[in-house]
This record gives sequence, structure tokens and C-alpha cells, in this order.
Amino acid sequence: MKRFLLVCLFVVGLVFALAQYQGLATQGTYDTIAIDLREDVPNAQRDQAIQRLTRDYGAKLNSQFSEPDHVYILKGDQKLLQQLRRSDLKQLAESVEPNYQYRAFDFPNDPDYGKQWNLRSINVEAAWDETRGSGITVAVIDTGVSQVPDLETTKLVPGYDFVNDREDATDDNGHGTHVAGTIAQSTNNNYGVAGIAYEANLMPLKVLSSGGGGTVADIAEAIRYAADNGADVINMSLGGGGESDLLKEAIDYAHQKNVVIIAAAGNAGENSAAYPARYPHVIGVAALGASGDRAPYSNYGAGIDLSAPGGLISEEGGQTGGILQNTIDPSTGEAVFAAFQGTSMAAPHVAGVAALVKATGIKEPDAVLEILQQSARKLPEDPLNYYGAGQLDAAGAVKLALKGQLNFRDFFRWLRDNGYLNPRFWIDGGVVALMPKILMVLGSYLLAWFLKNYFPFAWSWSLSTGLVAGSTGLFFLRGFYVFDLPQWPFRMMGSSIPELGSAMQGTSSLNPLFASVLIPAILVITLLGHANWKWFAIGSSLGVAACLVVSAILSPHLLWLGDGLLARGFLLSNALLCYRLAALAAKPNVRTMVQG
Amino acid sequence: MSMTVEGKVERKGFGAGTWALVSDSKTYELHKPPQALMKVGLQVKVQGEVRSDIMTIAMIGPVLEVKEFEILSES
Repeated sequence: MKRFLLVCLFVVGLVFALAQYQGLATQGTYDTIAIDLREDVPNAQRDQAIQRLTRDYGAKLNSQFSEPDHVYILKGDQKLLQQLRRSDLKQLAESVEPNYQYRAFDFPNDPDYGKQWNLRSINVEAAWDETRGSGITVAVIDTGVSQVPDLETTKLVPGYDFVNDREDATDDNGHGTHVAGTIAQSTNNNYGVAGIAYEANLMPLKVLSSGGGGTVADIAEAIRYAADNGADVINMSLGGGGESDLLKEAIDYAHQKNVVIIAAAGNAGENSAAYPARYPHVIGVAALGASGDRAPYSNYGAGIDLSAPGGLISEEGGQTGGILQNTIDPSTGEAVFAAFQGTSMAAPHVAGVAALVKATGIKEPDAVLEILQQSARKLPEDPLNYYGAGQLDAAGAVKLALKGQLNFRDFFRWLRDNGYLNPRFWIDGGVVALMPKILMVLGSYLLAWFLKNYFPFAWSWSLSTGLVAGSTGLFFLRGFYVFDLPQWPFRMMGSSIPELGSAMQGTSSLNPLFASVLIPAILVITLLGHANWKWFAIGSSLGVAACLVVSAILSPHLLWLGDGLLARGFLLSNALLCYRLAALAAKPNVRTMVQG
Repeated sequence: MSMTVEGKVERKGFGAGTWALVSDSKTYELHKPPQALMKVGLQVKVQGEVRSDIMTIAMIGPVLEVKEFEILSES
């Protein structure tokens, strides 16, 4: 009894869970309901339904193209949806379902995100759909980084101050913190502005003094430090000076360690990028204004690999054209939101996107550059190489990086997009009517329980298997589709004994040869002599009995006999015979009788 | 490399701002300029050294370390 109750509870729990579980595919918000009316009903009946829908619910055609399909939209919530599904309108509709609102991308909740024209211009929102740079470390070789309020949730890993030779690499200029903000400003934190790879780690390396200058020797050391301490990307919003072997070697060293190195092209408005942007293995970045054209201060020509927003602040002091991030005011040391301009601002855009690309699993810096350049928005004519390969495109880069890669996210999205995460796919309401199946299992267990009260026997594996085989089969398998594989094996395994005939024929009506006492009788006669398998036969017999009773009540479709009284009578009498057969076989003395 | 440059002092808006010396042919970034030079519009003659070992956030041109200077006019 206890066991029976447990089984009942399990089944009830299962049904409840399935009923509650909406599936990831169906998550979402809606305030309208979509009704698709059937085309195979008489026109008059459909017109009447349309009239009711428009009059009572204010339904409208979804669009002028919905006319042939009869798709109507009406305002409503879950309550109305349920009400409609229960009403007689349901009979005239192919579907009555929530009209989910699709939203393409996540918009961050940072209040000043609207002022960041630069992030929209690199198409970062669609990139965030894939990655936010988690697990990647970006070294910011600059004036240091202060953890201002809008960097509070950004992870800072230990860095170094090469100017003052100490571990604390706090910013005393404001430039480095601003650059760090573009790369990984705390985002979706309901405060300030957003950054590009906001789940990446920042490694602050201070090489420039409060005045904004620093030596080649310190910069070279910082590059090596970054490469040796796990940086994946280096950003250098700095430049000037002459060619230096020291710096060149440090860059080669980091490149060999798979670090992507990015540098600003320089702000002299000259033909050719400044060092270090000009070195091999360094991605040189030119600056764009808000209009997408080259910013007039930006260097161009030799050494420019890509272009990205650097902003342009008008002489009158307007800040709107600049790049807005949280940084410090060097005169007071306090945190401020400031708009800066320069190729210094363009480089961290590329560094942030490089971090996103690396987060997708691309390791080699040359491959990262290839992806950044291939995905960049090309400009039709650029004889002076103002733009390098083109304008940075974050989403394009990340999508290109993911192309051909089989990863979990991609697989998961494929599952979701194809509806495989919806349990209704796996236990398809169209293929398997779940409720009758559960009634069949419950019914057969109930019968077995009755029998047990009269004839003491132990529950065994063979009895349970028999019950399942007789009542429902492994019914969930019937909703199972694998591309390009024949579906009939699943249909067979998913069928109970009474359904085998129809499963073979692929019809929905039961075959009276299978949906009868015949197979249980053959099983009992064959297996009665076997101590274990006898119980399988008994279980099957009870299972078939339950299946036939449920079918007789819910859907008495029988081949040759139709679905009227005759079919019901046939099913019920065979169910009774099955039960009697099981009772007979379960009697302790039957075995000896037959054997004797 | 020691040199003499004649030009106008300007403030360039990169980062928190940088002091520049704009001559007819080139723009120089003034490296650690003395207080007296930090005034927009000064016409000056600067004797100094271009520091090729220094890189900066401004990147507006050669970094000129001021040794001596002479104010020609204030405009």
C-alpha cells in the first residue's frame, strides 16, 4: 500500500511538474494573444468566430498578410488565454497562444548608457548576447587605474606601478581609469555608464606619471609583466618617441605568449601611426568621430590596422561628441564622469572587443586580428588608409569567432531555437496524449494493488515491466525525433501491447487483434511455468486491462469496429477478461495445476 | 637632440589636457613645462631637447623637454 501511494505521489508530482514547467522556449512576456483560425472549417462558422472575436474581444488581423491564414491578435493576459482555450472558439482554431514579445538584445540598465553613442556604433549589444569577456584579463598600460564607483563590480587583478616601483597602481591622472572604463566599466549595475567586456578582469600597470608621460623602459617592462602574469590582451593608449629595440623585443615576447597587443595610432593628424602602434604584432587603432568619419586629430596611413570611436569634442567645450566614462579628476582625486577624445579612447574599444573574441576561445593573437579585420565594416574608398581594415564591429567579430565552433552556448541556442527545450516536444501532445497515458499507468498499478489484496505476491521487476508494457509502453519515446533516423522504432518502443498493431500500421485506431485479451493470454500460457517471467505476463495482462478501460472511455477508436458502442463493449469485455486472466494466473496453485 | 623652436603655446584636449607648442611646421608636446609657460596664446621661443625615450597619452607630436625659454609676446 505504501509503495502504491508512493507511486501515485510520484506520478502526480510528475504531472504537476510538467504542467508547471513552461520550458525555456516559452519564457517571455506578452500582453496580446494570437489566434490562428482553422482553414478546414465551413466559412460561415469561421466568419461567426471572427465576428465574435472582433466584437467581444476587440481582435484584429495581425497584418494585411494574415488574411489567408486567419491570424488574429487581441489584447489579453493569461486569464483570458485560459478562458479562450476552454471556450468553443478553441475548436475552430489551430492555435490559441501568447503573442510573445521578442527582444533582440539586452540593453544595460546603466542610466547614462544612452550617452554612449560609441558603444552602439560598434554594435556591442548583440555581442553581449554571446559573451561579456568572462575569464579574460586585459592589461591597461597607462597612468594606473583607480577603482572608481563605476568600476566597483569589475574585477581588478594585481598590477604594478612602474613609475613609483610599488604594487599599488592607482591612477593620479585620470587617463588610465577612463581607458579601463571603456574596456570593462561595471555594466548593468544601475549606475553610470557601460563598458565593452565588463566581465573581463583588468590588470592596472602604471607606466605614465601624473603628467601623462613615461619611459620606454618602463613600458617594455610592463608589457613583459603582463605577458608573464596571465594577461590575454594589452591596451596601450600611449605613444611617441622613436623606435626602440627594447620595446620591440618586449612586444615580440608578449606576442609569442599569445597576448593580443593594441595601441593608439596617435593624435598628431599625421601620415603614419606613432610607436608602439606602428610595430609589427601591435594592432594600431585610428579614431572615428560620432559620425563615423575619421577624427581630424587621428594619425592615419602606415601602421593603422583598424578604426574605432575616439570621439571629437568641439572647441566650444561640448562634451557630447566625446567618449564618456567614469574616472578621477586629477586635481581633486575624486571620481567624475568625463568625456575624453583621442586615439587613446579608440584603442580600448578594440581591446574590449579583442577580449570578447578571446572569450569565445580564440587564442592566437594573429587569429584575433584576422577576425577583427574581417568583421570590420569596410569603407568603399580609403586611399590614405584612414580606417585600416574598417570600422570595428563587436557583434560581427564575436559571431565570426563563433562560426564553425561547436560550443555549449551554440548548442543550447540550437536546442532552444528548435523548440527542443520545450517538454511538449519530447512528450508531444500531438503524438502522445499524456493524460490517458498516466491514467493507464495509474490504472494498471491500481489493478495490481487490488490483486495483491486477494493474492499475496511480491512486487517485482518483471511485474512492473509487464504493467508498463501492457498499459503504456515507453510512451515518451513516441515523441522522440532524431533527424534522418526512421521514427518507427521509437513508435514501437513507445507503444503498449494493445497499441502495437496501430503503431506498425502508423494509424491511430487500435487493432482489435492487439487490443484484446489475445496477447496477454498467449503470454500467460507461455510464461506461466517460469517463476519470474510469469509475473511479466501477469503485469502485462493487468496493464492491457487498464489500457483497454482507459481507451474504452476516452477514445474507443477500433479498426473495423469503429468508435461506437460496439467498440466500447469490445474493449471493456476484453479488459475484464484480461483482469480475470491475471487473477487466475496469480493464484498460487495455478502453476501446479497447469504443470500437473 | 637639442633644438630651438618658435611658436605659440596651446592647450590640447586629450585626456585631462596637454600643453603644446605649435610652430609653423610642427606641433610639440611640452614635457613638464615650467609654470610660466602654461598660458594659452603665449608666443615663445623654447630651447630644449626632444625626448625620444618618452611616450605619452597625448601623442600630439615630439615630446619637447624645455631647457630655456623666452616669451616673445602675450596675445
